[in-house]
Amino acid sequence: MFAPYIEYARKAFAREATYRIELIAEIGSLVLRVYLLRSLWTALYAHNAAPTGLPLHSMVTYTTVALLMSLVLEVDGTRVIREKLREGGIAVDLMKPIVVPFAYFSDGIGQTLLHAAAIVPSLLFALLLVRIDVPSLPVLAIFFCSFALGYGVNFFVNFLMNGVAFWTLETFGLQLIVRWISDLLSGQILPLSFFPGWFGRAVFALPFAAIYSTPLLVYVGIIPPAKWAAALAVQATWLAVTAGASYLLWRAASRRVVVQGG
Amino acid sequence: MPLIVTRDLRKVFRSAKRFPGALGALRGLFSPVYEDRVAVTGLSMEIERGEFIGYIGPNGAGKSTTIKMLTGILVPSGGEVEVAGIVPHRKRRENARNIGVVFGQRTQLYWDLPLVDSFELLRAIYGIPQDRYRRSLDAFVELLEMGDFLRTPVRQLSLGQRMRGDFAAAMLHEPPILYLDEPTIGLDVVAKEAIRTFVSRVNREQGTTIVLTTHDLADVERLCRRIVLIDHGRAIFDGPIERIKNEYGRERTLVVRFTETTSAPAIPGARLESLEGLTARFVFDRATQRVDRLVREVSDRYSVEDIAIEEPELEGIIRHIYTQGYAGEERSA
Ligand SMILES: Nc1ncnc2c1ncn2[C@@H]1O[C@H](COP(=O)(O)OP(=O)(O)O)[C@@H](O)[C@H]1O
Ligand SMILES: [Mg+2]
Repeated sequence: MFAPYIEYARKAFAREATYRIELIAEIGSLVLRVYLLRSLWTALYAHNAAPTGLPLHSMVTYTTVALLMSLVLEVDGTRVIREKLREGGIAVDLMKPIVVPFAYFSDGIGQTLLHAAAIVPSLLFALLLVRIDVPSLPVLAIFFCSFALGYGVNFFVNFLMNGVAFWTLETFGLQLIVRWISDLLSGQILPLSFFPGWFGRAVFALPFAAIYSTPLLVYVGIIPPAKWAAALAVQATWLAVTAGASYLLWRAASRRVVVQGG
Repeated sequence: MPLIVTRDLRKVFRSAKRFPGALGALRGLFSPVYEDRVAVTGLSMEIERGEFIGYIGPNGAGKSTTIKMLTGILVPSGGEVEVAGIVPHRKRRENARNIGVVFGQRTQLYWDLPLVDSFELLRAIYGIPQDRYRRSLDAFVELLEMGDFLRTPVRQLSLGQRMRGDFAAAMLHEPPILYLDEPTIGLDVVAKEAIRTFVSRVNREQGTTIVLTTHDLADVERLCRRIVLIDHGRAIFDGPIERIKNEYGRERTLVVRFTETTSAPAIPGARLESLEGLTARFVFDRATQRVDRLVREVSDRYSVEDIAIEEPELEGIIRHIYTQGYAGEERSA
């Protein structure tokens, strides 16, 4: 019963693996960014320009782990939907005895797994350049749980974004805007606790915070053990909401394809 | 009980009309104007198990739309459709197990991966047991001569090789029904011939029911006994090829080659169509004129080197029907 979907993931893995040069370039650029950000934060901290509350070594840890996470989270596994719509490949998939969104989800998992394989070498290279904190085992365990929930939210946010292609094939502008907002508001670049006032509170109320910010704040200890349960519950809620919205979107969209013609 | 039945099948596409310019786009957004386009209408046909149907018509006639309704990925706007006892769009996945589909203009193969990888995925999708998979794959590799490029990434294959891969992919699960939508488009003569030999063999030996959509009438003449002719979404002929030839192809051409230059040759009962050098072409009505008399007349009157009679080509007949309309007897229901 799961065999087709496991095979979809394996083929996606193999397909992504044919782009070996891109993967190596990705690792190289990541290591470079780790180094640049460390230099930047070191300089800012030396001039007391950075907000207080987070010591330099925590800041460097935060940005380095965020960059490593991005290896997996920046894979847009649902991009296939947009491509299949544009090129009409979705018709071929609908002619197979499969649940099409499951197949695309599996494809996304396969892509993710390949990029996840790049994390270990990236980490090793990064450690040559910077020193990062290694938290205790329970913190690591909660970090990975939180990361998994964030992965789910990220997947469905992408799914919703690519799903817009069912109505208008030109989604590039939208992609760019959402990507930019998401990078900023997810805490990938800066800890969200740095944002002041109402804005600082508002960003925590958006789904993007569930992607990078929560696992990272667990990692560096800004979210203390007492607040773990609440933080993960918020993530789980966003996962349910985005998954539910994706389901509704798929239902409306596939009806549209089938009734209108693709 | 026929394998494929459609009754009064109809498909109307509704699309929002686009207006030019940015203002136009805004106008379209707030007060959309819809355009209806009838792609298929009043289509009733029955296809028996094991038949090989040529489904032909000019571009935009509604062929692909019909195929999509038969595969269940398009919901009809009206009428009924049943394939092997299943209403395709109600049970898309169940229907998918019975069918194989080849589109000439698109591929179902993984572009970046070796050809065989796509077959492995299909093995998992259809749950084909390993030994049966091996057996049919070996058979396809031999029949379609795919041995040389089985492990080559699909992006590096020639169109002919890729099409052979697509045929194998469509048939790996041994479906009883095969839909071929313009499968020979863009292929060279050799590749076309290889594909034709293959499908005719599948139809003969495995009894696979095949619906072939094409506007290459040579495909149809080689492969199909029955044709359904569709124009502007409407079936205008459904029957054996011989019938359409008899009804429309009453004219024959007598090709005469003289031994010496002959000016204005004439035979009673035939019309001179052309005279080029030593070769004259006379057109006559097979129903009213006897061939033996014409041949005798021409050889009595002139010094003749060679005489031949040409049958009309399906191509010419169909072209005639598209431009003049179909005026044969009402087709039997
Ligand atoms: N998705 C669609 N939306 C609107 N019109 C369509 C769509 N698909 C096909 N059509 C129209 O329906 C008619 C039949 O198309 P099609 O079945 O593709 O023709 P054929 O395959 O015979 O060339 C054409 O006029 C075409 O423009
Ligand atoms: Mg077509």
